[in-house]
Amino acid sequence: MAPTLQHTVSPFLEPGPRTKPNSLAVLQLSRDNFVPVYLQEASGEHDGYVEGAVINTRYGSFPHSTLLNVPWGSQVRASKVDTGSRGRKRKRQLDEEAGCETSEPIEDENEKGNSNGADKEHGDGDEAKQLVTDASGFIHVLPPTPEIWTTSLPHRTQVVYTPDASYILHRIRARPGSTLIEAGAGSGSFTHASARAVYNGSPVEGKRQGRVFSFEFHEERYHKMKKELSDHGLDGVVTLTHRDVYAGGFLVGGKSPEADAVFLDLPAPWEALPLLSRQRPQLKEGEVGEAGAKPWVSPLHPKKSVLLCTFSPCIEQVTRTVSALRHLGWVDIEMVEIANRKLHTARDRVGLYLPVDRGVNNSAKDVEEAITKLTEIEERFRENARPKQSADGTEPAKQESKAATNGKTPMNGAALKYPWLDGRLVTRGEPEIKTHTSYLVFAVLPMVWTEEDEAVAMAKYPLGRERFVVSVMGKASMKEERREAMQQKQGNRKSRRKDRDEKLAEVEG
Amino acid sequence: MYSIIRPNTWVAIRLPSGVTRNILVTPNATISLGKYGSFPANFIIERPYHITFEIEDQRPDEKFSRIRIVPASELYAEIFADEESPDCSAPTADAAKSVISAEGGAEFTLVDAESGKLVTRSNGEVIDENARQTLTQDEIEELKREGNNAGKDVIAKLMLSHTALDQKTSFSLAKYKLLKTKKYIRRFQILPVDVPNLAHWQLEERDASKILDLRAEMIALVGSWGNVHYGGDSVYLEDPQATCEQGEEALAPLREDLLKGRWLVVDDTGGLLVAAVAERMGVLFPELDEDKSNLDEQTKRQRQEAEAEAEENQDGDVVMADVQDSAEKPNDGAKPKKPRSSDFEIPFSQTNTITVVHSASQPSLAFLGYWNFDAVAPSHVEHPLCRHLMCLTWLQLLKPELDTAYSTPPLTASTELLASWKPSRRGNFHRKRRRFARTKHIVEATRAGGFSGLVCASTMDPISILKHTLPLLAGGAPVSMYSPTLEPLAALADSFSVSRRTAWTSGTVPEVVVKTVEELERWEGNEQFPLNPTLLLGTSIQTSRARRWQVLPGRTHPLMTERGGTDGYVFTAWRAKPAEGKVAAKGKFKRRKLETGSAAESEAAETPIA
Ligand SMILES: C[S@@+](CC[C@H](N)C(=O)[O-])C[C@H]1O[C@@H](n2cnc3c(N)ncnc32)[C@H](O)[C@@H]1O
Repeated sequence: MAPTLQHTVSPFLEPGPRTKPNSLAVLQLSRDNFVPVYLQEASGEHDGYVEGAVINTRYGSFPHSTLLNVPWGSQVRASKVDTGSRGRKRKRQLDEEAGCETSEPIEDENEKGNSNGADKEHGDGDEAKQLVTDASGFIHVLPPTPEIWTTSLPHRTQVVYTPDASYILHRIRARPGSTLIEAGAGSGSFTHASARAVYNGSPVEGKRQGRVFSFEFHEERYHKMKKELSDHGLDGVVTLTHRDVYAGGFLVGGKSPEADAVFLDLPAPWEALPLLSRQRPQLKEGEVGEAGAKPWVSPLHPKKSVLLCTFSPCIEQVTRTVSALRHLGWVDIEMVEIANRKLHTARDRVGLYLPVDRGVNNSAKDVEEAITKLTEIEERFRENARPKQSADGTEPAKQESKAATNGKTPMNGAALKYPWLDGRLVTRGEPEIKTHTSYLVFAVLPMVWTEEDEAVAMAKYPLGRERFVVSVMGKASMKEERREAMQQKQGNRKSRRKDRDEKLAEVEG
Repeated sequence: MYSIIRPNTWVAIRLPSGVTRNILVTPNATISLGKYGSFPANFIIERPYHITFEIEDQRPDEKFSRIRIVPASELYAEIFADEESPDCSAPTADAAKSVISAEGGAEFTLVDAESGKLVTRSNGEVIDENARQTLTQDEIEELKREGNNAGKDVIAKLMLSHTALDQKTSFSLAKYKLLKTKKYIRRFQILPVDVPNLAHWQLEERDASKILDLRAEMIALVGSWGNVHYGGDSVYLEDPQATCEQGEEALAPLREDLLKGRWLVVDDTGGLLVAAVAERMGVLFPELDEDKSNLDEQTKRQRQEAEAEAEENQDGDVVMADVQDSAEKPNDGAKPKKPRSSDFEIPFSQTNTITVVHSASQPSLAFLGYWNFDAVAPSHVEHPLCRHLMCLTWLQLLKPELDTAYSTPPLTASTELLASWKPSRRGNFHRKRRRFARTKHIVEATRAGGFSGLVCASTMDPISILKHTLPLLAGGAPVSMYSPTLEPLAALADSFSVSRRTAWTSGTVPEVVVKTVEELERWEGNEQFPLNPTLLLGTSIQTSRARRWQVLPGRTHPLMTERGGTDGYVFTAWRAKPAEGKVAAKGKFKRRKLETGSAAESEAAETPIA
């Protein structure tokens, strides 16, 4: 895999204008086929190959050198690379794999890229050759973003996709400077989106750095993700800890992350919630408190409201989570489900007289066309029924077919010239849609407010100097209220009439 | 997120009815919640957000009502009781109906009048026989007017008067409680005015069309796909120290190498979109103490004292002054002033900026007022947007020579002449010069392009927006455009259809063949190709919808109705840098030889995106 990469700023956060060596780039092979690649400079003495590292895809071969130091978004042509017969065979295999690629999560994938139909390979020719551009084939190279990463990352678990992740981060107010606790890290899909959300630049004295504190107890996943984060230059933003959070909680190095946002994608969020309290959680039944236990440290920001989201596929999990949240003092609890749909545009080409082609429906485009066709058939039928004039009868038939096409040619002419303008523009959904991802539970934990706090605030903002009134009721609603009161008092016809007059005056005025 | 309610900030008050209202929290004001009562604003200033308060009864010796914090255990008392009761999952519609009709449509929370605690069936409190009297509507009103027990008393009495109480299932009881609670209990919550809350309020309680029905899901998608995030630490151009005798030649030259992390925005949502973008970039909220890490207690205290003093002087009024005048003002504030800057100093950061292109002569960003920012006349209060938000008109962007502010050379005057002028004239002179330098900078920097992304929520045709903005985007930069309706986005996506792209790259369109890649980047558009179809990659349209659920013991289900009926759509893509000349896709999977033109019809999944 990638050599240990050194990066000052993550390509996810500040990609710069061009592709760089030893940094993550994403190759777009086709519409939804993205391949993450760590671009390397050709270093003859290291691997001894002519072109250095090469990416072979069904769209051609791409030596890294053709992808390096180009502006992001560049369309790059394929090169003629001699991969040798063994290489070609291997390539075909990979193509096949890519052909039947599914979006199913792939557990514990060993080599990145395999599932995407691309493979880094080293040219095995010995003699030096100039790179020759292939006659056809190209790809585009894009800077990595959490959106692209989510669709191209090696799946080790179920992941949170952009429609959910974007909404969650918006709702829990993960913004530059926020401190977010996340468990479990899983495949890191949500982690990448969080890192982008909280990132607020280089450390400056006095500035609170946006951070993600992520937890994962599965050892292999933890190690894979740890490596990934450092390869992506994100270890300054994300702190990953190997831990079972149900038992071990959320402190890092014994210290509080002082989180103001929390995201739990765990099988049993209610097990973790007591450890996300502001005070020492109550002991579970059967547990014995340690004698002389150290003072309890909360992982939450003491001076801020904390916003939380849990992500659970089953309603039973939601019920338990919500109940636990209520008992732990969380407020504004809300459960939401996100349904996302993609829409495709197409040109709907329907017509009896359109050229026969893929994507063309050669049936009647409207009633008129149907009538024309039916009339034609009737005519032909009558003609055939008539006693034949010539012996072979070929001539009338020929004439007829000519007549049939003649009437339609004008329509055809335009269609052939600009097919992309032809037909009606339509949008459709996808044949298969995600109808359920998970239930999102949101909640807020206000900060603790003590008598002392109150006394300080009271002293700073004493009473007795109230001079004016700020009303939350707009003029209209104040009027309404007065009216309501009056109606209740009088309840007579007079008031109702007055009411109506008032309303009319409002409408007219 | 704000932790405590700062004086002179906008907050959202959530009323017992669930409705939220935005108000400016001004010290020494009385906040009136209409029929729910009123209380001094000083009771909530520097108190935490999200806490639930309750307005108490006025004490006999006081002229105001006090408020108390309602603990969560009290908020959820009924639900906890329901959780414990075994029959919570056996509701019948009839029971619910009979309960409702029994009290003429009124529904209640059961509260103990003496202790102020909630009474629920399952915790077995005995209802006082003597209290089993029926109250009339008049009596309720009477009690309310007297206000002699903060509404709770009324509810308790009503509840007690309900003789058939113990026959009700907890299901119907819960319904009862909920609705009546909304009407009488004087509880409220203070929420920060941030983008999600403001959008929600505008959508559900004000005019959704003003923000083009932009729902939270959509704001989130637009921002994410636009890759909007913190765009780098602020970098400023050096003040050229221009004297008043110097004109245009003294302007600081544009440093394209410094420009970084800039998003281009077209906003017809009155500034909500700009606010959402600013929130994601960390420039919407002024930096607060609790956002800082190493602030020692002493500086904190000093600052607080200074703040309090300043407020005292203001006497509750918010003093707004033109940002441009700040340099001339005597140094009377608590903050030390930096050395006087010249007229040509550029206040804008070169990184992490938002550039708004607007169609009227002034940007329409009124919603930014909720974060104390006025785009037309920025206040002297150091708001991060003052240094990170730039606005220009489409005319300034596309035909700057026709714009007076841009094309009129700056005034100059000798120091002696300047000294002879009246202060007002002098002020005007400086203002005009500053305006010139800024306009020039904004126009030049925008036209230099290289933007990190384009984010739109506009009523203008997206094709025309892209025609003029695509050349300004850096390679790989995302485009993220919201529309409340699908059709404009469908037409946009269609102009990037595979067939169009194939035709374009096939080398058969005469107008295209003769042009260089650079020229094609600024393609003017024609009937067949409204846009250069090779300039965007991965074009896609999507929509999201949040469905809210009620989660209660034994009564969990999706909400029956929801506001904000329109869906809204987002178009996304990335800016491509097409290769020069004819580019052919690999033909391995081409099933048959196709003629030019109809080759485009085969939108085979394997066809690489051009
Ligand atoms: C569904 S995955 C999370 C996926 C992740 N949100 C993403 O977007 O890629 C759940 C993860 O939580 C981890 N996990 C489960 N219980 C845990 C615990 N008690 N402590 C830490 N991690 C845990 C699992 O190992 C798994 O990797």
